[in-house]
Amino acid sequence: MLTIESLKAYGADVEDGLKRCMNFESFYLELVQTAIKDTKIESLETAIDSGNLNQAFEIAHAMKGMYTNLSLTPLSEPIIEITELLRNQTQTDYSALLSEIKAQYQKLTEIDQ
Amino acid sequence: MEKTARREQNIHRKILIVDDEAVNRKLLGLIVSQGYEAIYAENGAQALQLIQENQKLISLVLLDLLMPEMNGYELLEIMRADPALKRIPVIVLTSEKTAEVRSLQMGAADFIPKPYDLPEVVLARIHHSIQLAEDNIIIHETETDELTGLYTKGFFYQYARQFDRYCSDKDMDALVLNINRFHLINELNGREYGNYVLCTIADTIREILNQTNGLACRCEADNFFIYIPHQAEYQSIFEKIESKFSEMLKEAPISIRIGIYENVDKMLDIEQRFDRANLACTKPKHSYSNAYSYYDTQMHEREIFSERLISEMDSALREKQFCVVYQPKYEIKGEKPTLKSAEALVRWFHPELGMVSPGKFIPLFEENGLVQKLDRYVWREAAEQVRKWKEQYGISIPVSVNVSRIDIYDPELENELLDIVHSNHLETSELLLEITESAYTDNSEQIVQKVEQLRADGFRIEMDDFGSGYSSLNMLTALPIDALKLDMRFIRNICTSEKALKMVELMIEIAEFLNVPVISEGVETKEQYQLLKEIGCDIIQGYYFSKPVKPEEFSLLIEKEIAQREEQEYAYN
Repeated sequence: MLTIESLKAYGADVEDGLKRCMNFESFYLELVQTAIKDTKIESLETAIDSGNLNQAFEIAHAMKGMYTNLSLTPLSEPIIEITELLRNQTQTDYSALLSEIKAQYQKLTEIDQ
Repeated sequence: MEKTARREQNIHRKILIVDDEAVNRKLLGLIVSQGYEAIYAENGAQALQLIQENQKLISLVLLDLLMPEMNGYELLEIMRADPALKRIPVIVLTSEKTAEVRSLQMGAADFIPKPYDLPEVVLARIHHSIQLAEDNIIIHETETDELTGLYTKGFFYQYARQFDRYCSDKDMDALVLNINRFHLINELNGREYGNYVLCTIADTIREILNQTNGLACRCEADNFFIYIPHQAEYQSIFEKIESKFSEMLKEAPISIRIGIYENVDKMLDIEQRFDRANLACTKPKHSYSNAYSYYDTQMHEREIFSERLISEMDSALREKQFCVVYQPKYEIKGEKPTLKSAEALVRWFHPELGMVSPGKFIPLFEENGLVQKLDRYVWREAAEQVRKWKEQYGISIPVSVNVSRIDIYDPELENELLDIVHSNHLETSELLLEITESAYTDNSEQIVQKVEQLRADGFRIEMDDFGSGYSSLNMLTALPIDALKLDMRFIRNICTSEKALKMVELMIEIAEFLNVPVISEGVETKEQYQLLKEIGCDIIQGYYFSKPVKPEEFSLLIEKEIAQREEQEYAYN
């Protein structure tokens, strides 16, 4: 179940995220819920697979904004990394980073169940 | 502080949050709702529509840059290009350095990084940007004159002072530009054309400002103030304005005047500097031609002199430096001229300046209204004198006193005059009132009413300087007057100029038609006297009989008159 405690255990900087929510815990949890329902990861993967790095950058950039605002550190760290690579249109193998992101996202969704 | 409090209490401002991420929108919405009402858009296109629908109600836009449909940059560009939307401050949401710079250059008011700062910081930034933008709007709306776009007076003075602070070693000139008889433009061509003239003048001034790096304002209807770095000559600037002006008003008797106070003394207030330029501007007041003139030492000395007279008037009244003198008026209808009445005139014997000419202080006091005090002083002195002569000689010598234009508008006039007359146990007919002809033309209806009332009280009214004003014959018949005093300029030339003589004859005819006596002032020679007697003038005043004299000397004239009357009586008996 998604709680402050479980998010802490997950590795989120809950205190930082809560500050931004003016310490409304339920509001914070609701926003994390919204972030979990977001399906951008799939779009990101599709864009990278099809070589549309520009579009991939925009998606990654949006995800970065969302995850950093909620201080979901385990997710935002690889997202920040991939955003920077995509910004420079770096031709590289993105699969490792993508797997990491997917894994962290998976972990987060599991908390929610 | 008060201003901020008012801002917080009364107005619930709307803030538009534009972000494609629901999480971000909600997060900002929570923060913003602490002091404002939040409305939301998911992309630039949606935002633009909301802004256009609520443009007057949105106080600030929080704008994400990367969005589908229309991104933040595009929206920012559209907003900055639209004068109506330009006023709405935009805070950009970004954490990219390059984006910060680019959006600030594009006109964003501020930026908020992602992840967001603490809510307090976000709110403070929002508050600050709104305050700045609103102050700007208020300043912009009040600093310029709606019609011409030039500064308004208060802001102009403020900016001029600022200019001096930053360019303290620069020599500056203060200019006042005034349109003579501007009201005629409105009357002859309509108000719209009047506005067009003002705007064209303002445009020309703006061109000059661009070349000289100065500033200008319109203060009052047709008055422009210009503050510019010192110019060696003003001919070309004057010609530029003049030619524009003449193009618009080809034959109308309307002219442009520019007064220049060059190399201003920066020890003076900015207001005083423009007072001086204004003085130079009003110098050749009655000219119909366009002209410019400089404030010079002569003007400066006159100004100092005038200020001294004004500031010393009260003490001069207290110390009786003003002396009332009397010039006799003789009736010349009979075989021998007889002393009929006198005119009270005022002289100023200043302890340091000596005799100050009435020509210097009367117009000055008329201008600022001080003449009212002086008039009252003369009325009281004159009434006392009439009483004294009456007591001493048993005969009444009525004295005429001047009633200035401003007195006529004083609601207390009637009471004061009655009080003066009664406290000296005089009849109202013993204090004659002189009102200059031109006063009648100012606002004839009000004056006629006032004068009718005074006549009903028994006062007799002499119209002074007749022939110098612009009375229409039609108006004359309606005026309640008891005597016409001819302007002395006509008398001066009656012996040498056929035209002057004809004019006087004509005026005497008018008086006959109105059934009132004619008084000729400024009669100096026997020839003038005889000629005036021949053509039917009733009463004469002037050096031919006597200059204005002190009461003691006037007493001698009374004694002479009494002796003459006794002689006549003796002859008849």
